[in-house]
Amino acid sequence: MTGQAILVAAVQVGVVVALAPVLAGVTRQTRARLEGRAGAGVWQPWRDLRKLVAKAPVRATGSGWLLRVAPVVLLSSSLLVAALLPLVGAVSLPLVPDDLFVVVSVLLVGTVAVALLGLDAGTAFGGMGSSRHMTIAALVEPTVLVAVYALSIPVGSSALSLIVQARLDSSAVIASPVSLLAVLALGIVVLAETGRLPVDNPSTHLELTMVHEAMLLEASARDLAWLELGSWVRLAALLGLVGNLVAPWGIDTRVSAAGLLLGVAALAGKLVVLGGLLGAAEVFLAKLRLFRVPELLAGSFVLAFLAVTASYLVG
Amino acid sequence: MAANVYAQLVGLAAGVLLLTGVLLVWRRSLAASVRLLSVQGAALGALVAVIGVQHREAGLLAVAGLVVLLKAAVLPVLVGRSVPADAGREESPRLNPTAALIAAAVLTVVAYLVSRPIVGSSPDPAVRAVPVALALTLLGFLLLVGRRHALAQLVGFLVLDNGIAAVAFMTAGGLPLVVELGASLDVLLVVLILQVFSARMRVKFGALDLDELTELRD
Amino acid sequence: MTAVQVGLLSQVVLAAVAVAVALVVPAATRAVVAGVSCAAVSVAGAVTGALAMAGQAGSIRLPVALPVDPVAFAPDRLGGLFMLLASVVGVAVAVYGIGYVSGPSASRSSWAALAVFLVGLQLVAAAADVVSFLLAWELMAVGSTVLLLADHARRAEVTAATVWYAALTQLSFALLLAGFAVLTAASGGTGFDTIGSLRPHSAAASVGFVLLLLGFGTKAGLVPLHVWLPRAHPEAPSHVSAAMSAAMVSIGLYGVLLVCVRLLPGGPAWWGVLLAVLGAASALYGILQASVASDLKRLLAYSTTENVGLVVLALGTSVLLRASGATDVADAALTASLLLVVSHAAFKATLFLGAGAVLHATGERDLDRLGGLGTRMPWTGAAFGVASLGAAALPGTAGFVAEWTLLQALIHGARLGDPMVAVVMPLAVGVVALTTGLALLTFVKAYGIAFLARPRSTEADAAHEAGRTMTWPMLAGAAVVVALGLVPGPVAAALATTVGAAGIEPVGLGGIRLTGLNALLDPLALAVLAAAVALPVLVSVARAARRHPARATDLAWGCGGARVSPRMQYTATSYAEPLLRVFDDALQPTRDVEVTHATESRYLVQRVEYRQRLSDVVEVRLYRPVIGWADRVGVQARRLQNGSVHRYLGYSFGALLAVLLVVSL
Repeated sequence: MTGQAILVAAVQVGVVVALAPVLAGVTRQTRARLEGRAGAGVWQPWRDLRKLVAKAPVRATGSGWLLRVAPVVLLSSSLLVAALLPLVGAVSLPLVPDDLFVVVSVLLVGTVAVALLGLDAGTAFGGMGSSRHMTIAALVEPTVLVAVYALSIPVGSSALSLIVQARLDSSAVIASPVSLLAVLALGIVVLAETGRLPVDNPSTHLELTMVHEAMLLEASARDLAWLELGSWVRLAALLGLVGNLVAPWGIDTRVSAAGLLLGVAALAGKLVVLGGLLGAAEVFLAKLRLFRVPELLAGSFVLAFLAVTASYLVG
Repeated sequence: MAANVYAQLVGLAAGVLLLTGVLLVWRRSLAASVRLLSVQGAALGALVAVIGVQHREAGLLAVAGLVVLLKAAVLPVLVGRSVPADAGREESPRLNPTAALIAAAVLTVVAYLVSRPIVGSSPDPAVRAVPVALALTLLGFLLLVGRRHALAQLVGFLVLDNGIAAVAFMTAGGLPLVVELGASLDVLLVVLILQVFSARMRVKFGALDLDELTELRD
Repeated sequence: MTAVQVGLLSQVVLAAVAVAVALVVPAATRAVVAGVSCAAVSVAGAVTGALAMAGQAGSIRLPVALPVDPVAFAPDRLGGLFMLLASVVGVAVAVYGIGYVSGPSASRSSWAALAVFLVGLQLVAAAADVVSFLLAWELMAVGSTVLLLADHARRAEVTAATVWYAALTQLSFALLLAGFAVLTAASGGTGFDTIGSLRPHSAAASVGFVLLLLGFGTKAGLVPLHVWLPRAHPEAPSHVSAAMSAAMVSIGLYGVLLVCVRLLPGGPAWWGVLLAVLGAASALYGILQASVASDLKRLLAYSTTENVGLVVLALGTSVLLRASGATDVADAALTASLLLVVSHAAFKATLFLGAGAVLHATGERDLDRLGGLGTRMPWTGAAFGVASLGAAALPGTAGFVAEWTLLQALIHGARLGDPMVAVVMPLAVGVVALTTGLALLTFVKAYGIAFLARPRSTEADAAHEAGRTMTWPMLAGAAVVVALGLVPGPVAAALATTVGAAGIEPVGLGGIRLTGLNALLDPLALAVLAAAVALPVLVSVARAARRHPARATDLAWGCGGARVSPRMQYTATSYAEPLLRVFDDALQPTRDVEVTHATESRYLVQRVEYRQRLSDVVEVRLYRPVIGWADRVGVQARRLQNGSVHRYLGYSFGALLAVLLVVSL
């Protein structure tokens, strides 16, 4: 049991690391094509990473140990999340169940690491990004936990693999109002957490409108590579989770070679579809004003809250 | 219809009703509000149809057709026609949207609490969804209280009416056809009057901001 | 004579010795000698507390000639826990004080008051009846007031803070007296065991409950009775702030627990709802104020209100769930409240001691003037950083374990049949989540602005590391935060036994299992997993670092320009600005922007002055009117008292006549 769970976790980490840059590539490529550009191809993020790792980092005086540590912490926390979530197989480690509270808090470790990194060098932009980032992170928190609460009520547990398993067993649950509202709320939150439109524009070059990017301005070479890979892995893992909540089919519940292969293929398929959808949606979305973001998050909170209320009515 | 399919369909329709209610509170664009209103009307019609099929009542099916026609098509079109092309969104609602959304969440809880005696231990999924209809009524009131624009208020009024109609259909399997017809005509009349009224207002003040109307005159 | 008896006696004796030493020893060696003797008082307390918590019995009876139950100090398991907690904080504070005190806070009276304060704290937890409880409670109140006053000659704010503190302490005492009086009258005895036999559903029990809750809530800092916290904590010497926030506030919470668990267990559901509402309001209000505060110690004080709110919220859900019959979940919530108390004591003591070290080194507690302390004060920075992680409830720290337990209890508390529970639980989850999110922002701000970036003032630039007696207690506190965060299982199980909660077991590598809830958390295993996934990353970092060593450059990115002035950095005020705008209605800040135009043209701006003031909304809206009203009544009352002896004699005469008439009728 433990051995199988470790195998699944290792496969998940490997697959997500391999797929995360491709996911970023798919999103960018879809967007480029829809906007009438040729695009750099889906493999460009991988090429960027290779280039960044082979460069000598430039570090400004005044930036301290955090510039070295924070990227590693972000990447490790994202990898840990990828290992914990039920992405390829719905099997959890006996001592480290994929409890959603634990997953969320591990994500927060990465969030905090990046926010501190933004403050480290003592520049105006870094502080600005960090402040905005933490404000959004703080307001996202209630939605995440209440949505989880809504999903956990029918199962009686906050373990994600059990939630996904239950949805696989009785797929009628997926279309219920409770689950629709909760997944919608979670979707908005995932966009906010991973710095996508309409909360943050990942491809902006204007420092004053940046949130996530503003904190990375000081990072270069491998530091930047870890930060980029870390955010992509985080996006891939969270999108994979949403994908598995919406369409749990294909996930491996009894660990076997064929099952794992099918799980990997299903995950890759879901990620490509979701990445394409995300890219397509971003063509039509404009970035919200920063002070409109709380409205969006309050809206998603209400959806999550209604999901809980609805679960009392239906249940 | 199998019991669980019936429950699912009622749940889905109720979910759409509630969701559109919340979205109406959330969105400030009038055009979007009108579209949401039409979706809400369709969901209400679907709910009536589902109840009608379950109870095998042809009358209810006719009412469902009427509801869809009136609430999903005629009323939204009527309201939509008077939305001025330049009125993109209401810039400063009385209640700021974040507070309104939180209020919406609280109202849903209130609806859930106060409808306990009605729901009781009834096994009928339609009756169990009464809190949703009640919440819709309260959300309609919230819109009426919280918006400045005359048309946004009209939308609130229609949401309120949808909520009341939903309560009626869920608890008693609907009112007799005649009563329903009368009530619907009433609403239609109100909408027409308000439309004329808002047109007059625009001529008089050049805007539809109800804050202009704070004085009583002889 | 049992060990607990010896421990109790030795605390009293050692406290007397410490007071004597503080008064006698000359100034040159006073700090060391008095600090060590205060620490000895707390060491005795820690040992006694640990023994009592393990279930050993022992009591000291005071000989009194009153017709009441025996006046006795006899700690039960729960009391032992809080005695241990207060004592451990006491040891850290006393040792820290040796290096920290200077000027007025190093005086005879301050050291003597510290000894009295510490022994008072420890004995409150040992009291077994109303009289002994109130006795120790007053000892604690007097000691803390004197300590707070230390610096009153130099700064007027200290006097104002002390007045607020003393007034609310008196209010608290009056409420407690009234509450205990009601319970004593209803049960017919002053002993806690006698009161414990009272039916919790009687009217007297409810009246007593509300009075005691308000009384203890004042001491613990529950909204709206929290107003003394953000005044007293910043003005007190930092080691005293640490003791007040980590130990005294915990003792206030002990009072609430005492009522809910020992005196009136099994109360009706509305008690739980009342507790939960007060707790939720305190948690949200406290963390909102903390997140926008720029004064480091004020920030920590408001964060205390937040944590107290979470504890009371946990306790409230526990009472509510017990009333609706969900015993296993109620037990988990009760354990969560104890875990929250313990973790709060650990990280808050460390944070206040860290803030003290910063104050000691720079003379500043305004975050807007700090910065870059991480390289100048590495040990303080490390301890403060770890404690901040704990306060932000990140995994690997005590705070996370506590909040995880609370959240598990909340999501398993869903009871479809009971509408009250059904409504309270999701709202509580939302409140806890928002609180956690804002706490994250608050402590990223506190640590990031003070310890990272570049110094924002010359004082911060010239900062130096604190001495060993100051760094060791901080590092010990940080170690406790991490230890509780990594191996919480045995601790949680021990805590659960003090309140008789079942279903909390250690599992795996020191993790917690909530058996009734089918949930488990093993932080050490999680850490092992994290290390396993981090290993390849670290290896590739090392390889890349060997091949491509880093280059240093002078300038940070400034949009192509040279932005080197530290004034360009974000400050604590600007960091919280977006949040302040989001919660504008709740916090009601006042802002003035003053623009001075150049003389040549009014299109050219010479300088812009921005001022922002944040006051406590509760204080302005609730207390100011009451104080104004009291003032007016006082002015009216002066007419009764004009200094004429004849009039006073007339009053006495009138009173005598009235009594005679009443008696005869």
